Formats: sequence, structure tokens, C-alpha cells
Amino acid sequence: MRRENMDRLLIVEKIEKRYERTHVLGAKKEVAALQGVSFSLRRGSTLALVGESGSGKSTLALCIACLERPTSGRIFFNESEITACDEKRLREVRPQIQLVFQDPARALNPRFSALEIVSEPLLVQGRLDKPEREDRARSLFAQVGLPQEKALQRVEEFSGGQRQRLAIARALSLEPKLLILDEALSSLDCSVQAQIANLLMELQASLGLTYLFITHDFAMAGHLADEIAVMEQGKLVELGPADKLLRAPGQEVTRRLIAATPRLCAAAPAPKAV
Amino acid sequence: MRYFLRRLMQAAFLLIGVSILTFLFSTLAPGNYFDEMRLNPQISPETVAALRAQYQLDRPLPVRYARWVNSLLRGEMGFSFAYNSPVAPLLWVRARNTLLLTFTATLIAWALALPLGIWSATTLGGFADRALSWATAALLVIPDLVLALGLLILAVRSGWFPSGGMLSVGFESLTPWQKLRDVAWHMELPLLALVLSALPILVRHVRAAVADVLHAPFLRAAASHGIPQRTLLYKYALRAAANPLISLFGFSMGALLSGSLLVEVVMSWPGLGPLLLEAILARDLYVVIGGVLCSTVFLVAGNFLADVLVYWADPRIRAGAATK
Amino acid sequence: MIQCRGWKRWLLALAVLHGIVACAGFFAPYNAAEQDRKRPYLPPMKIHLVDTQGHFHLRPFFYAMRLREGSFDQFEEDTGQILPLRFFVGGARYQLLGLVPSRLHLFGAQTARLYLLGSDAYGRDQLSRILYGGQISLLAGLLGAGLTLAIGVAIGAIAGYFGGWRDGLLMRVAELFAALPWLYLLFAFRAFLPLSVSSVQAFFLIVLVIGAVGWARPARLVRGVVLSARERDYVRAARGFGATDGYLLRRHILPETSSVILTQAAILVPQFVLAEMTLSFLGLGVPEPVPSWGSLLASLQQYSVLVSYWWMYVPALAIVPFFLGYLGLASALQEDAGTVKIEGTTNGGIW
Repeated sequence: MRRENMDRLLIVEKIEKRYERTHVLGAKKEVAALQGVSFSLRRGSTLALVGESGSGKSTLALCIACLERPTSGRIFFNESEITACDEKRLREVRPQIQLVFQDPARALNPRFSALEIVSEPLLVQGRLDKPEREDRARSLFAQVGLPQEKALQRVEEFSGGQRQRLAIARALSLEPKLLILDEALSSLDCSVQAQIANLLMELQASLGLTYLFITHDFAMAGHLADEIAVMEQGKLVELGPADKLLRAPGQEVTRRLIAATPRLCAAAPAPKAV
Repeated sequence: MRYFLRRLMQAAFLLIGVSILTFLFSTLAPGNYFDEMRLNPQISPETVAALRAQYQLDRPLPVRYARWVNSLLRGEMGFSFAYNSPVAPLLWVRARNTLLLTFTATLIAWALALPLGIWSATTLGGFADRALSWATAALLVIPDLVLALGLLILAVRSGWFPSGGMLSVGFESLTPWQKLRDVAWHMELPLLALVLSALPILVRHVRAAVADVLHAPFLRAAASHGIPQRTLLYKYALRAAANPLISLFGFSMGALLSGSLLVEVVMSWPGLGPLLLEAILARDLYVVIGGVLCSTVFLVAGNFLADVLVYWADPRIRAGAATK
Repeated sequence: MIQCRGWKRWLLALAVLHGIVACAGFFAPYNAAEQDRKRPYLPPMKIHLVDTQGHFHLRPFFYAMRLREGSFDQFEEDTGQILPLRFFVGGARYQLLGLVPSRLHLFGAQTARLYLLGSDAYGRDQLSRILYGGQISLLAGLLGAGLTLAIGVAIGAIAGYFGGWRDGLLMRVAELFAALPWLYLLFAFRAFLPLSVSSVQAFFLIVLVIGAVGWARPARLVRGVVLSARERDYVRAARGFGATDGYLLRRHILPETSSVILTQAAILVPQFVLAEMTLSFLGLGVPEPVPSWGSLLASLQQYSVLVSYWWMYVPALAIVPFFLGYLGLASALQEDAGTVKIEGTTNGGIW
């Protein structure tokens, strides 16, 4: 491995993902969700993946998180290939790459208590015994800014912003290196978005996390990311440092997306915690 | 057309499956008709063994099944030990009576349930609706066995109805018109029992289906166009509610078939029910299999009929089938 | 889970009813097998407070029965003999709930036989037989429903969770079972099991038969719930942490089925009790002398009994309060779950 690659936590090489769709009339059509996507991610940095719905962003996230298998191409994580691994290898790799979903209401089982949610990954992985798990969960609570009194309450009783904090806490419980945030801020209120965004930045600084931030909101991308990649219809059309891209977009697609973004939220000051 | 062929194939598979299933159970049974005979000291063991061989009971299961299918194709459906005759003619007579009863009960039940249900749905929450709800709830709570027995006691003590059977003594000498009246008179009590047990569910379903449709947006839009209430109900609402109701029709046939077994036994109506019961008590294998299969045929036919009706009534199904 | 009080009331009522039957020994004045050949087919005795002379008695009493003049089977009250009704009397031995031996009965008469609901051909007290019979019938219904639900949940969960060929196969089999008229299937099952077995064996055979018949509907319902639960984001997330299938089923998916299971239980139990009654009535159930509600009705198949001894019908009514309770419970549960499916509240037959 070359020296510069050791700096790269994630390398994605010519990923393709094709689905077969059976049409109503019986004809089979092949849908290419991803076509020849390649990029890499430096340790400790944030890459924003921007594009409209249907551009393949979520599919890419699932492939990287090893929840889907790409049809062709390779993925390297932490200097080893993880594209087509067996179950055993996956069990070692998966905890290091965690997903935070868009809708926390659906991503968290409403019947669970907050403590159960956050300690579930540890329980499933069989690490630590019960009191240790609870301690770890409570320390995670503190890290994401959730009050300890709420630990035993059910998910149903949390607000949207708090639930997303819970989801982040859960994702952090296995001490991942890479966090994939799939539209994680999109369903939150504007003011709450800013708070969570700030939380994410703090966590990145204190824990040395690497983020793959998927969004359709260019303003958010500009605020959070070091680099931005633009996707359209399964292809990666532009990739570059965030500020440069925003000032001087190269592609038509990028220009269109930037023009469509409302300017308000990114400039607003962070209000008090929810 | 392909739609129906597919349904027919499914029905055929179902019947084959049922026949295999019931045949399979017969092997689980320790003891059979001949065991009872063996206990009888007057019949020698050799006779029993000879009879067993004659009826092929000592052959392995697949052979027996094959022979039975063979017999089925020849129109015999196996042999009854108790009646000493092929099963098919026995079944045919009884099945006819059961069909008569069940079919009439279905018609009457629906003839009552439809108007009652529609009336209920159009006056939702009103006095009539609530009274009907209470009445159906009261009937629902009384199981069919209790109902049938209760009616029988009522009949016997009051003398209003005949206490059983299908034909009076001296039936042969009656005129055709009198024969019809005689059968009808005997049918009154079993019909009452069957209809009363099926009615509450049907009424509730009709009410639910029609009420659903009456509150649908498209109907309100039609009403706002000034279409009169009656037309709305009969031309629009009922058409839309037809689909679930027709499926229910097929469903209700199956339920009435099960219910009729009990009613026939309690009220001595000479249908498949008493025949099946006798055969079970006498371990008459082929009659049991024949009886179960017969009732399944009726059920499947009823559901198939319902499918045909749904296809005819609901253009969506026609379109869906056409593009396949 | 469910906050509303509606279903709790029904559950309480059912608990009381079941409790009375469970403690049949206490509530029944006699044991189920106690015969009195000198008093066959006695009509129900009336409890009086005022005697023929117009005196009011504080303690309720009843009259002994004597044969009417010139008749050999018609009884009438012997107004000369006043027999007081006593409460909390000592009587025949029994074991409360099968564990605690006792001789205490709620009520009875010390000196003579009291037949509140009449007697049968052997002079056995109908009231006592109804209470004891309820134990058998209800137990058969509960166990049968339990078995059916266990089978249904297992099959539904496998079909819904794993999908593929397993789903296809299991649902075809379920269709097969669901398409048959259930009573015929019950009979066919019963037909092929030995007719003459010991009471205990017969009981469990019947439970097996009843339980094996009705699993198709619960299986289909559970499968639906499992299918939708499987696609939830939190299940996918848990898989992302490396959760096994077993864990997902146990912690995330099966809890979703609890409301379906409870509602189905409330619907199935009365139907299975009725199934046992039907089998016993036709002579295919638990054999004599063990009483069950169905076998208590079996004598009604004789014309003479039907005409003359109307009180032999009363055991049939015993099931009605239970039906009411269970159907009410099922309705309340369904309303709470937000899915008022009227097709769920069916009548006697398992359709």
C-alpha cells in the first residue's frame, strides 16, 4: 500500500449495482442504481455525497455498510478489501462502519427504552456484561447531550432531535471508525438541524471519526464537509474540496443543485438545546 | 380465460391434496372395521383375513391410494363395508339432500342479510341499526349446537314442526305438489337453524362493506352532482361493495356446509352429515374419505363460483387478468 | 401497551367464570359421578321461602320429591317434607384445583338430595355435572387454542421471516387446511384415531385433533405482521450490528405479533370449546363417565328425553356466558388495536 493510501480510511473503486425489475407486462428491465462510482475518504474528514432522490446515494451507503453487495467493483476499508467477504469477516468489519438513518422514528424500535436502544449493539455483539453495558450507554448519553433522567423512558416519549441523538449514541456504542449519515438531518426542524450538526462536529473532533454525509441539501454539505461529491443517476459527476466546489461548480448538475438550495438555515445562529 | 384455468388447476391440486391427506390419516389409525369383526366370536379369523384381502387392506398405502383413484375414475369411489355397496351411489343421494338444504339456506340467509345490512348501513347509528346490532350480537353469542338443539326441543314440545327426517310416511303416494310441500315442511326447522346461525355474520359484513363504500370520497362527489339517493345506492354503492360481498358469498357457503353437518345430525336430515358420522363410528374408511372429499368439492365449487362472479362484476380483475 | 379499560372488564368477568368452574368441587353440591338410581330424571327443584301454609322461612328450603300417584316416572313435590338449604356444608370429598383436599361445599342439604337443575338417567345431579363438565370442556378449549396458536405462530413466523420457498410451501399447506370445512376435517381426524381409549388418552387426543385443525388463519395473520416488521428500519439497523435471526425474531419481530395473538386467542378458545362439545355430543369425545358439556347433551338424541325432560338441555346454555365473555374480549381487543375487523368475531364454526 502506498503511503498516501494509509491516510485513506475508505476507498471505493468503480462500484456498480444493478437491479432487475420485472415490468408489469412481463419484460425484465435492468436498473443501474450505481455506475462506476469511485472515490476515497481521508481519516478524520467529512465527505458529503450530494444528489437528488434516485441518484443512488442510499444504495452506495448500503453497499459501503455491507448491507448490500455491489454487482461489481471493490471497496477497501482500513487497507483491506471488504467487498465480498464471508460472514466471519463481516462480523469484524461491520461494527467499524455504522449507519445513522434519516427517520429516527423508524430506525428505533418504539417499544424499547433509551437505555435498551443504545446498549443493543453491545448486547448483540456479546461484548461486556450488563452493568458495563449500562455504564457505557450512560456515558454515551452524556456525550450526545441527552439528560440521564430520560434513560429509562421509551423512545416514543422523545422529540425528533432527541431521537436522532439517540440514534447517534447507538451508532457510537461500537466505537466505529466510519459513520455514514444517510440524510440524518433532513427530517429535523431547522433549529434542531443546527444543533445536531454542531454535535456531530464536536464528536468528530473528540473521537476522531470519519463521516460520509449523504444529503440533498447543499448548504448543509458546505457547512459540514471537507469534500463534496455530486451524484446524478448513479454516476459520480464531480468531486472536490467543499469551498472550491461551492464557489466555482464545474458541472451543470452541481450548479443546479446549488441554485436550488435555500440560504437561511446555514447562516442562523445555534439556538438553545431542545 | 387463463385466469380460470389457473383457478381450476388450483382447485384440482386442492382436491388431490385433500384426498391424500385423508388417506394418510387412515394409516395412523390403529384398528379398523375388521378389528371389530375380529372381536366377534361368531366370525372366524379366516373369514376376517379373507375379507381383508378382498378389500385390499393389507397392501401398502400407495397401492391402496392408486386403487382408490382407479375406483374413483370408474365412478365407484371405493367400497363401503357397512352398506356392502360402492360408495358413490350412497354419497350421491345424501349429497343431493345436503346440497338442497345448504343451497336453500344460503339463498335465504343472503336474501335477508342484504336488505338488513344495507338498511343498517344507510341509517348508521340510528335506532334500527342499533337494534339490529344487538340482535346480531345476541345470535352470535349462541353457538350453532345450542341453537339447533334449542330449536329441536321447541319443535318437539310445540308440535309446530316435524321432529326430523325429510319425508313423511306415505310419501310415495303423494302428488308431486304435495311431495314438494312435504319436503319443504320438513326442511323448515333445519333451515331455520342454519339461517339463524349464519345471519348475524352476514348482516355485519354487508353492513360494514356498504358503510365503507357509502363514506367513500367518490360517492360524496357523485352526491354533490345531484344524483338522487336511490340511484346512488343501487347503481354506485352496491357495485363498489360487490367485490368483498361476493367473496363473502363463497366463504359463507363453506361455513354453511360445516354448519349443515351438525344440523343434519341433530334434526335427522338425511344428508352427508349423518352418513359421515355413522361411517366414523363404524370405521367405514372409504365412506369417510368419500364424504370429506365430497364436501370439499362443494366448497371448492362454491368458491370457484364466487371467483367467476367476482370476475364478471369487477372490471379491475378483468383488466388485471388481461395483462398477465 | 393497551391502556383502555374495556377489555380488562371482560377479562375479569371471564376470570370469575373460569374460577367458578375451576373450583367446581366447592360450588357443586355433589361429585359428578354420584348416582341415585331411585331418582332418575327428576325435574329441577324449586327453592321456596314461603311454605304452603303461608309461613315465611328465613332459611330457604325445598321439598322432597315423591312419585306421583299412578305414575312411575312423574315426580311431584312432597309438601309435607320441608328440607332446609344449608350453606357451607360438608359433603363429598374433592380436591380443590386438584391440590387441596376439602369437604366444604357452598350449599347443600344434609338429609336429602338437592337437584337444582334436575337429575339425569342415573340420578346424578345436573348442576354438579355441568360444573365438573365445564372443567373438561374449557380445558380442552384452552389447550387446543394454545396448541393451534403455537403451531400458527411458528409457521407464520417462518413463512414471513424467511420468505422464499418456505413461505410458498407453508402458505399452500395453510390454504389446504383453511379451504376444508373444519367440522369435516375434525371428524376425519377423529375418525382415524382409536375409538375406545381411556378417558385421559381420549382427552389429549381430542385436544390434539382440535388444535391441529385451525392453525391456518392465525398463521396467515402472523405471517402478515412478520413480513411488515421484517422490513422496518430498526430491524435492518440491528442486522447492521450483527444481530442473528433468532435475536431479531425474539426481540423485534415477535413482540409485534402479540396483539394479533391475543385477539386470535380470544376468538379461538370459545370455538374450540364448542368443538369439544360437538365431538362429545356425537359420541366422539371424552367417554363416560367423565362429564363434558357435550356428553351431558348426548341423551337429547333420544326422542323420549327430548320430549319429556327439558332440563337436560340446560348444559347447552352453560357455554353461552363464556361465549359472550370471549367475544366481548375479542371485540374490545380489536377496537384497542385499532383494527375493527368484524370477520374476526365469528360464530360457532371456525370458518
